[in-house]
Amino acid sequence: MSRGVLVTGADTPIGERLVRTLLDDEHVGHVLAVGTRPMEEALPFANARRLTYLPVNLTRERRVRELLFGPARDLGIDVIVHTAMGRAAGEEGKAVHEANVNATRDLLALCERHPTIRTFVLRSYAEVYQVQADLPVLIGEDHPINLSPNAPQYVRDRVEADLHTCVHMGLSPLRILVLRCAEVLAPGTGSQLFDYLSSPICLRPMGYDPMLNLMSVRDAVAALQKAVHAREHGIFNVPGKDTLPLSLCIRKWGRPAIPVPGAWMTPLYRWRRQLRGHDFSYGMNRRRFHYSGVLDGRRASDILGYQPSHGIDWPVSG
Amino acid sequence: MSLSLAIARLLTAGALPAEERERLKALRFADAGHGFDAFGMHPDIVALGEVLLAPLYDRYFRVSSYGAAEAIPKEGPAVIAANHSGALPIDGAMLWLDVLRHTTPPRVARTVADHFVPMLPVIGTLFARGGMVGGSRGNARVLLEAGELLLIFPEGVPGIGKHFRDRYKLQDWRVGHVELAIRHGAPVVPVGVVGAEEQMPQIGRIPIQFAGAPFVPVTLTPLPMPVHYHLHYGAPIRTDLEYRPEHADDPAAVREAAARVKAAVQALLDKGLAERPGIFA
Repeated sequence: MSRGVLVTGADTPIGERLVRTLLDDEHVGHVLAVGTRPMEEALPFANARRLTYLPVNLTRERRVRELLFGPARDLGIDVIVHTAMGRAAGEEGKAVHEANVNATRDLLALCERHPTIRTFVLRSYAEVYQVQADLPVLIGEDHPINLSPNAPQYVRDRVEADLHTCVHMGLSPLRILVLRCAEVLAPGTGSQLFDYLSSPICLRPMGYDPMLNLMSVRDAVAALQKAVHAREHGIFNVPGKDTLPLSLCIRKWGRPAIPVPGAWMTPLYRWRRQLRGHDFSYGMNRRRFHYSGVLDGRRASDILGYQPSHGIDWPVSG
Repeated sequence: MSLSLAIARLLTAGALPAEERERLKALRFADAGHGFDAFGMHPDIVALGEVLLAPLYDRYFRVSSYGAAEAIPKEGPAVIAANHSGALPIDGAMLWLDVLRHTTPPRVARTVADHFVPMLPVIGTLFARGGMVGGSRGNARVLLEAGELLLIFPEGVPGIGKHFRDRYKLQDWRVGHVELAIRHGAPVVPVGVVGAEEQMPQIGRIPIQFAGAPFVPVTLTPLPMPVHYHLHYGAPIRTDLEYRPEHADDPAAVREAAARVKAAVQALLDKGLAERPGIFA
């Protein structure tokens, strides 16, 4: 049976690629793409057959209701893939929280009483997990969540949206899937590491070289596409194909890695942030720059049939 | 290739015999895609570990090994459980190299270290490259499910920090190693390490945290003495055959299995102590 799919965040790199992929999927009927930008700026292929693009402010509950109980119902949408989430760690405040958390909450509540929507897919993030020396390196779905009140809003919002969605699992008439994806190392995705690697030189804490797991946009989209067709619900860790030490990651990005005392990292990167306007926050990444944390994707492999298969397009080989 | 890996290969090429380098090519290793496994182990650093530890193993501690090849399974999950002592974890390093040398194809004993070890700069990273993992249940579970060989010291920090007068008296014997072994169908290989308990006689401890360690040992010698190490491997305790996985949740069964392992290690220690001609001989 072909599925009608609503994609939020369709004007982001992942959302746009997901829309393209779904349009090429013969098991998908109509795609309702939702973004924040006007149609002419958002999707260059917005006039494609089987595609409707609508700019909607998801923080306005009434607009969301009009979307779901208007075009979405009329198009027979039965799956919603929610990928819209603030991408800049530097953006904080009530408006950001509304976009990240309240919008997810409203969307989920409305979907639960929707006549055609049956599946809710949340694109969540590996950042919701704690990374610590005394925790397992391989992160399963039952790994401790980062519930620190001192975590930046970027993390707290992701945790809140993720857990709010998880709470509905099994209680809701919807089939709910939460995909906790590894960091997508690509521009425009909100990748902290991408911003970090954009510097001509990369400083790293002396004496530490933790293992990271990173994913490509193609793999993130492939996992979301699997979720669209899934018959199961649940939480799934979605790792990328690249598991490597931080130092190797820096080298493959073509940057020199300079180890400095750990205590220097915070002020140096704070100055970089303040003076150059970069988004990378060392405070937010301090633990994973010391201790390894790699998503364990066995559940996604066993149940969704997802296998990471497209690595990062590294600028430097070897 | 990074500078550290290039140096590792250079040193290995210069110091390891060609047949040993060839043998190490058959090392069991789950490459996560860039030459490292998910825990950060790299075969070149494992080979470098052999180069660096060989002088200690061969000449300084003159390690004698008994029964390793017969006791350690050639494949599949297994847990090595040994007594722990010596103020510095040299017993772990000697066992690590002994296992590497006495298994065909070579196996790396994934040493399960206390939580503070991965926090140590340089050392934590270097040890991880050699196969060490932090002592969390999750790490051990994943490795056993992958058919790896774990090296666990059930005495933990109280073992390595035991007073000289308590040498060869096993401390509080934790049960986690057998619980893991039963749950994941792995046999337990008991090992008695004779020699290490006299290498740095500990006469006290300063109860302050240092580099993550819970105390600073006060030892009679500033460096380990050249004691003669004897590593006695016992017949595997078939926790994989004699117990069912659900027994891992039965405290009585787990305690009973742990007591068997402890008794086996103690018997190996008693045998080793009776047979050795002297501490340094």
